[in-house]
Amino acid sequence: MLALLEVDRITVRFGGLMAVREASFEVGPGAITGLIGPNGAGKTTLFNVITGLQLPTNGEIRFAGRDVTRLGVHRRARLGIARTFQRLEAFNSLSARDNVLVGAEMASRDRRGGRTAAQVADEALERAGLADQAGITVGTMPTATARLVELARALATGPQLLLLDEASSGLNDDETEVVGRLLRELVADDKLAVLLVEHDMSFVMGLCSTIHVLDLGEVIASGAPAAVQADRRVQEAYLGTAAGDAA
Amino acid sequence: MNLLPRLRSTFGLSLGLFVAVAAWVMYHGRQGPNLPGFTSENMATALFTGLAIGALYALYATGIVVVYTTTGIFNFAQAAVAAFCAYLYWQFRVDWHWAAVPALLVVVVVIAPLIGLVLDRMIMRKLEDAPFVIQLLVTVGVMYFLLIATSQLWKTDRPRKLPAFYGTKSFALGPIHITYHRAIVLLIAIAVAVALRILFRSRIGVAMRAVVDNRSLAGLAGAKPDLVSSAAWAIGAMLAAIAGIMIAPELELDPSNLNAVLVFAFAAAVFGALRSLPLALIGALLLGVSRQFLISFLKFGGDWTFARDGVAPVMLLLAVLALPQSRLQVGRITRNLKPIERTSRVWETVVGGVVLIVAFLALSGGWLHLGFWDPAAWNQVALNRANVALATAFIGMSLVPLTGWAGQLNFAPMAFAGWGAYLHLRFAMHGGSATVSVWWLLVVGALSAPLGAAVALVASRLRGLYLALSSIAFTEIMARLFFPHPAAGFRKINKFKPFDVFGVRLDTRRSYLMLLVVMLAIAMVVLTGLRQSRYGRRWVALNDSEAASATVGVSVGATKVVVYAVSAAMAGIGGVLFATAYGTVDAVRTFTLDASIPIVLLMAIGGMAYPIAALFTTFQLVFLAIADRLAQAGAPHRVLGVLAFLRLFGPGLGAIGMVVNQRGAAFRAGGDLARFLPWRHDSKADWARTKAAKRDREIGELGLSRPFSGADVLAVERRLGIVDEVARVRPLTAEALAAATFAEGVGVGAAGG
Repeated sequence: MLALLEVDRITVRFGGLMAVREASFEVGPGAITGLIGPNGAGKTTLFNVITGLQLPTNGEIRFAGRDVTRLGVHRRARLGIARTFQRLEAFNSLSARDNVLVGAEMASRDRRGGRTAAQVADEALERAGLADQAGITVGTMPTATARLVELARALATGPQLLLLDEASSGLNDDETEVVGRLLRELVADDKLAVLLVEHDMSFVMGLCSTIHVLDLGEVIASGAPAAVQADRRVQEAYLGTAAGDAA
Repeated sequence: MNLLPRLRSTFGLSLGLFVAVAAWVMYHGRQGPNLPGFTSENMATALFTGLAIGALYALYATGIVVVYTTTGIFNFAQAAVAAFCAYLYWQFRVDWHWAAVPALLVVVVVIAPLIGLVLDRMIMRKLEDAPFVIQLLVTVGVMYFLLIATSQLWKTDRPRKLPAFYGTKSFALGPIHITYHRAIVLLIAIAVAVALRILFRSRIGVAMRAVVDNRSLAGLAGAKPDLVSSAAWAIGAMLAAIAGIMIAPELELDPSNLNAVLVFAFAAAVFGALRSLPLALIGALLLGVSRQFLISFLKFGGDWTFARDGVAPVMLLLAVLALPQSRLQVGRITRNLKPIERTSRVWETVVGGVVLIVAFLALSGGWLHLGFWDPAAWNQVALNRANVALATAFIGMSLVPLTGWAGQLNFAPMAFAGWGAYLHLRFAMHGGSATVSVWWLLVVGALSAPLGAAVALVASRLRGLYLALSSIAFTEIMARLFFPHPAAGFRKINKFKPFDVFGVRLDTRRSYLMLLVVMLAIAMVVLTGLRQSRYGRRWVALNDSEAASATVGVSVGATKVVVYAVSAAMAGIGGVLFATAYGTVDAVRTFTLDASIPIVLLMAIGGMAYPIAALFTTFQLVFLAIADRLAQAGAPHRVLGVLAFLRLFGPGLGAIGMVVNQRGAAFRAGGDLARFLPWRHDSKADWARTKAAKRDREIGELGLSRPFSGADVLAVERRLGIVDEVARVRPLTAEALAAATFAEGVGVGAAGG
């Protein structure tokens, strides 16, 4: 299967600090890919590079075969890259529905499949389980709900690639399950590519077909969940110290 | 969105501008008779004078930088404090004939630090967690208040002059004569630079710089944040006092004149990227020298005799544009105000607009008997004031989409207004008829929009403070270089004809009043509609998070162009209404920064995010009209005094009051009053909920806001001193601890994964 997103030897340097070092991996459509690693491993930085918020010092990002390394953030979004943020970046002054509408209104008619922006927005709210809270101002919502609003907003742009930064953090078990089910649905029915940064190990292991492990800015392992879990380097770098957390 | 081309284009843009300005100066500068020659003596004199003036700018800029680096607050009031202190010094030294030394000691060592402490303790400390816009506007309010206070305490009833130290005595240095005063200025500037350098290298200095990065963390590490910020404000005010006392003999003793130095001070501070004292000093000296060379060797002839007044804003604009700007920020700590919970429906605004129109018809026509309001209604003077105030409100409303919704702080409403008035004068005043069609207003609006778009293109890479500074530079450039130019037509006797609509001539003051009210109501309805539209949504989204807007596909640049264009169109129309209310325009006084600032302040006090805030800018209308009426009725002087006080000090005091109510009066009033409207069941429910919530305010009092992370919780636990206890109950993993420390350390989690 042809990769939708190719991260090719990306390096990001902040002054003397090497945040990402020659990181390469691919994300294919119709699958959930996990990106894990200890804190400070460079996961969010990589997300920023993929969406264009951070320019890499070196390397290339290709989306659907096209080099987008130097493309503006909003142009990449219009090509079909959508994301959520680890630290919430919801539009706090707007209602949940307006948040999602901003995303839906930016999607081209093509991507909306001929539906109106309002229809797209309502459907995205429905899928994220927010239909009954559409009118509430997001700034007054609990963090977990605001996270779901971000997810719905990303969906409403009609993406091909969905980047989720800590999608389940702050969610309770029920909400986590809703998100998990939604992601499986998106991958299976809509053939989306999902890239997931997560701390919740059971969530990642249960959902992802492929996992890339990042440590100190380097990809130290890639593969199926079971293989990654068994990898000695991964255990040393990551699971060893975080075992208590994952439990 | 690539870093290198962006940098290149930023530098390219400012370099291009600089070359254009330089070429223009070359061409126009050496015209006219009696041009001084470039002799070594002339050059040396200009150089030294420029250095001395530059040293004074450096004192101002240093005060701003010291306060900014330690508290994160950019103090607009720096030059106003300086002006106030200069007047105080004049009072002691000249009026009361004190000797120089005790007068200096009292002003610089006693009173100035006290002013700094009062500002810090009573105002600025409460703004620590306020959004940047509020912090900035409050200091602008302080500036406005101090300037009004100074001009009220020392009325312009007699000429005042502050003598230079050692009078005009001078000593010879090579070919030039140097006054002692200027030599002292240079020495002081050097001494201050050295002293501050030593201070910032010391333990206290390190603590000061740590405090601005993270107040609570620096506190945990043993620094005393409160002490540090008090020290910074006290030092800042002392520097202001020295600067004011030293610069006053070089300028006239006049509050707004002394405050005009601000633009130079800003340019110098920006030259040092607001953080570096040595660079700010170099910038200030460069500014002083280049300004002095311009003044000494260039005589702008013909149409450009006023051109040297434009030096400061042009330099400020160049400095701001040349500075590398940050890219879109993610994960910054969003310090948003309490979100708007509900926006008005269009039909509600229509109803409100009709009520407004009927109310004004009744008030101005004398249909109402309201105690002091007799049926003779408003006289011509009151009507005139009402017209000016309503036109001002219309201009103020242009800030609602731009600043209130899109968050683009703009001090230039009057510059756009002046542009509109210029266009109207240029295109609509032809022909012999005594009136001009009201539809010209739409043409003016359409023609004003491109200027807004152009400003947006130049300013699109600027954010926050730099954007505000660039709008100040823009206003001053328009006010000092364009409006006084004969091409603008304001220098001729210009007559703005009254309007006609559908064949009805609106040539009485009352008919014009009604036109203004109708225009205001229409604008409110249009704005309310825009706010509900995709455009309004996008603007608000942009203010909440530029990064998130871009990642859903919103083009940040294009969106800014649109909102600037809309704002400029509104302000342009407002400018025509304003000029027509007066009948003429004063080329140098009408559309200035000084006129813009109270509008911005009054809109902020009213609540920038609400069109109805425009009615609050009609303060002037309310107070002046009532005062006028009361005076006629023989009201006691004390009542009139209170009204006069409110009119003068209202904008400044109100802006300072935003410390308490950051969303503005409209928000407060709307929240309180909406529940009385029969159809607002939601508001009634809200009210009940708020009351219940007030009983349980623990979280709010800890100063926390969403987003709420594990790191925040840990910070709270630390502040409460219960980390160990919690750890016993819920064992703390090494990773969580590292995460919390990291998040606190960098403040924003920029590189975290």
